[in-house]
Amino acid sequence: MKKKKKFLSSGYLILVLLFIYLPIAYVVLFSFNDSKSMTKFTGFSLRWYENMFNDRTMLQSIYYTVLVAVISTVVSTIVGTVTAIGLSKAKKVIRSAVLEVNNLPVMNPDIVTAIGLMLLFVSAKVQLSLVTLILAHISFSIPYVILSIMPKLRQLDDNVAEAALDLGATPVQALTKVIIPQIYPAILSGALIAFSMSFDDFVISFFTAGVGINNISMYVYSMKRFNPSVNALSTLIVVVVTVILVLVNIISSRMSKERKKEENV
Amino acid sequence: MKSFFRMSYPYILWIAIFIVAPMLMILLYALTRMGNETLTFQFTLDNFARFFREPTFISVLIRSLRIALETTVLCILLGYPAALFIANLSEKKQTLMVLLLTLPMWINMLLKTYAWRGILQNFDLVSEMKVLIGMVYVFLPYMIIQIHTSISKMDRELFTAAYDLGANRWVTFKKVILPLSVPGIISGITLVFLPAVSSFVIPKLLGGGDYVLIGNLIEIYFITTGDWNFGSAISLIMALIIIASMYLTKKIDRNAQEE
Amino acid sequence: MRKLIEFRNIVKSFDGQVVLKGVNLNIYENEFVTLLGPSGCGKTTLLRILGGFLEQDEGTVIFDGQCIDNVPPYKREINTVFQRYALFPHLNVYDNIAFGLRIKKTGEDIIAQKVNRMLSLVNLEGYGKRNVTKLSGGQQQRVAIARALVNEPNVLLLDEPLGALDLKLRKEMQRELKRIQQEVGITFIYVTHDQEEALTMSDKIVVMNAGEIEQIGTPLEIYNEPANAYVARFIGESNIVTGTMVKDYLVRVDDREYECRDFGFKPNESVDVLIRPEDLTVVRPEEGVMRGEVKSVVFKGVHYELMVETKTGTSKTVKMHVVTQHDMDNRETGEKISANDFYVDSEDLESGALTDRDFISIANAQAWDDENRDISLTEVSHNIEPKPGVYNITFSTDKKTEITVKVYVVHPEYVEDARHNIGISALDFFITPDEIMESMAISTDLKTWASAEAWNLQDDSSVEITDVKFDFDPAAITEGSYDITFATRGRVYKVETTAAKAAGDKVGLAFGPDEIHIMHKAVEDA
Repeated sequence: MKKKKKFLSSGYLILVLLFIYLPIAYVVLFSFNDSKSMTKFTGFSLRWYENMFNDRTMLQSIYYTVLVAVISTVVSTIVGTVTAIGLSKAKKVIRSAVLEVNNLPVMNPDIVTAIGLMLLFVSAKVQLSLVTLILAHISFSIPYVILSIMPKLRQLDDNVAEAALDLGATPVQALTKVIIPQIYPAILSGALIAFSMSFDDFVISFFTAGVGINNISMYVYSMKRFNPSVNALSTLIVVVVTVILVLVNIISSRMSKERKKEENV
Repeated sequence: MKSFFRMSYPYILWIAIFIVAPMLMILLYALTRMGNETLTFQFTLDNFARFFREPTFISVLIRSLRIALETTVLCILLGYPAALFIANLSEKKQTLMVLLLTLPMWINMLLKTYAWRGILQNFDLVSEMKVLIGMVYVFLPYMIIQIHTSISKMDRELFTAAYDLGANRWVTFKKVILPLSVPGIISGITLVFLPAVSSFVIPKLLGGGDYVLIGNLIEIYFITTGDWNFGSAISLIMALIIIASMYLTKKIDRNAQEE
Repeated sequence: MRKLIEFRNIVKSFDGQVVLKGVNLNIYENEFVTLLGPSGCGKTTLLRILGGFLEQDEGTVIFDGQCIDNVPPYKREINTVFQRYALFPHLNVYDNIAFGLRIKKTGEDIIAQKVNRMLSLVNLEGYGKRNVTKLSGGQQQRVAIARALVNEPNVLLLDEPLGALDLKLRKEMQRELKRIQQEVGITFIYVTHDQEEALTMSDKIVVMNAGEIEQIGTPLEIYNEPANAYVARFIGESNIVTGTMVKDYLVRVDDREYECRDFGFKPNESVDVLIRPEDLTVVRPEEGVMRGEVKSVVFKGVHYELMVETKTGTSKTVKMHVVTQHDMDNRETGEKISANDFYVDSEDLESGALTDRDFISIANAQAWDDENRDISLTEVSHNIEPKPGVYNITFSTDKKTEITVKVYVVHPEYVEDARHNIGISALDFFITPDEIMESMAISTDLKTWASAEAWNLQDDSSVEITDVKFDFDPAAITEGSYDITFATRGRVYKVETTAAKAAGDKVGLAFGPDEIHIMHKAVEDA
């Protein structure tokens, strides 16, 4: 009876995983297809990879995606961390008011955030460009960084910062030597979220980027005819993401193992 | 301690410019007459009246709400058992499953949707069905992870206590696990329903040109037609509907918990 | 001794609530000073003001002759041991202790030397590399102390540092802390709500209450000569009774005069009289200064703690009618139903306070089927009027299984005791032997059945009925009428004695003039 249940539940989970990985497997498979077809696999070839590296617009979209993601991640992580720490020491009324407004872009549909920013830029007579694109990305990433750090800050013992001051640390030293070292996992995960939000974004970029500036999503969206090189690009992204996630997991598990070892000594 | 609070001053200025001001801009455009790129300050409610007077717009709105609702319900029905089964696995397997579920979330949504377009070419389905599959595909992992988090946070002693008090597995599920996982379901709904209503990439790529949801409507009025005032009004209407439905969900949740 | 710290008229409030009402306090070099009081009395607030984590609204703090009101915490030569230790979880034991020295840019060789000295001072040699989050509570405590002391502060502040430890560890750490204080020879300011901790460790105790200082003194002074009833109650066990000072060295309590050693009171001043439980001696009734009955005995290890009642409280006696009850059978449906006759107070009827539900519970009416499952009573009909007399009430189920019992409506009878300001009432009642035998808490059930209640005559607040006297064996009750007496608490003394006594014993209590202490009534005695 118990075995049967287990069989059922793992069977179901496998089905769910199959569903989730189906398009990814499909893309990977057809990235090696010999022909342009998306329905028939005619033979193995690497021609779409070659095509991709020769396609200037495609390469440029990768470049813009990475550039925007890196800049917006760095800026939003710094601003978000500093703000979250400041807010955690603010009066409750102010804190909840700021967090409420901060939540707006998270709760709002992307398209509303996007047209809002576009209207703002246009009304302020700012030409849509790479700069407006980066500003838009920073502004929708910071809320996520703050949301990821706030709970961790709330868990911190209030007395710990006071203990640092008590032992002679200036407020800045208390920040760098005591508070930030304790919340850095949350900062890291905030940065990771910010990066993936920016990397994947389509809607907000679509409305706020200047003419001729396309990221990967915009490139895919604006394709007139299907270009199988996109499959190659997807495969590449899948490989990179998998490698990074696996590495992060290995490192974090190794770190916790080492910590355990240290304690046993 | 007060000196720390000063660190959040710059961001308060930032949200005034980049969060509050854009919202006000939408409101302003929605309440004024045509006049692109420059505001006209001629106040009017015509934009809203126009939306509600035209049956096509209303049917688009209803279609968007319907498909978002269908997506949400399907995600709960498919996701809940998965979350429950995952929570019953050993800790190591749980981490692995969560990792496997999150991994595809990192891959560009447009690319995944394009892949579905390829797959669905092999089948003869109506547009709406294709869109629904695409939506469930994109949002299911969010639902599973939200519900799983709320189940795995529960104290296992609760289940033992329920058994001790004479409840069998089904009763324990119905009376203990399910009510306690409601917050997880609610946050799952937030993560699914909300973007599903406003989505315009999935319907555009999977539904073909003739399948229009409210998000596409906004895109059309901003990009193609260039009627920003009307486009702003549509997005305001959509935002209000979403806020209202979220409020309703939370209220239902609160009532359920009081009972 | 040199004055080190001076609090001058410190006032502090949070959100309009005054937490410190103008505190003045001097603290000297090398003292172990304890701020003692219940939570919310302002002791921690005072400590945090000294540490620099809070700013007072009014007043000045002088440290070593200098006003330090505007000195930030990190520039004060004061270190703190926090309530929950506040160790840095990302640093190991050694790095936690070295934190303050590294801030001051001390050389690593000197740091190593000092940290190791501290580790041995707190008995944690060899623990340097340990993760602080994995230490036991006592060990974390020691690290917190070492981390503060390594900076060689002039004053160490300790905010309930032992609160999170278990009893045995707490005792050990108390000795340890005292030893460390004597070894390093600096001022310790210690905050606690634990009076025993305060008595064992301090050179000086500051008793605080509601933002004010009640008394400052050595542990001996505080214990033997508390300034008022509040301090006496807070420190140690105490019996406090109200008396009148007849003249110097003579106090009157409950119409009797006792010699004492206290003087300087106004003639006929109303005073609080303190007798510590250990100062009362149990003797034979005829030898005692007071006589009474032992109400309870608790074994405390070395001694027994007796509660001796020297004067009974306000009481009311009622009749309990034990009758075997007749179940009513309903042959057709297989249902059974039962209920008792009952008494009810006409005033309760007039006020309309009684519902059908109340009647069901007073009559203990219940119905059940042949498989012993409870059935609800859906109908209650009666001809009861709010006039004394005998009436009928009928309870029935859905299937018309019914029972009729008698209701005796009576005028309420109170006993009003003007001297103690207490009123008490209770009603006669009917009950079955089964119900008495099944009772799991007979005194509580008797109170419920008799609707016994007591109240303060002045403000109508409810007063606890502490005593239910009866003269039957609940396990072997037979039909008949029994007297039950309900009483409030009388004058009860707590006595610590090694003499074994049993509840119900008549005893005498003796004490001499040295054993009583007279205190002024507190101005705001609650």
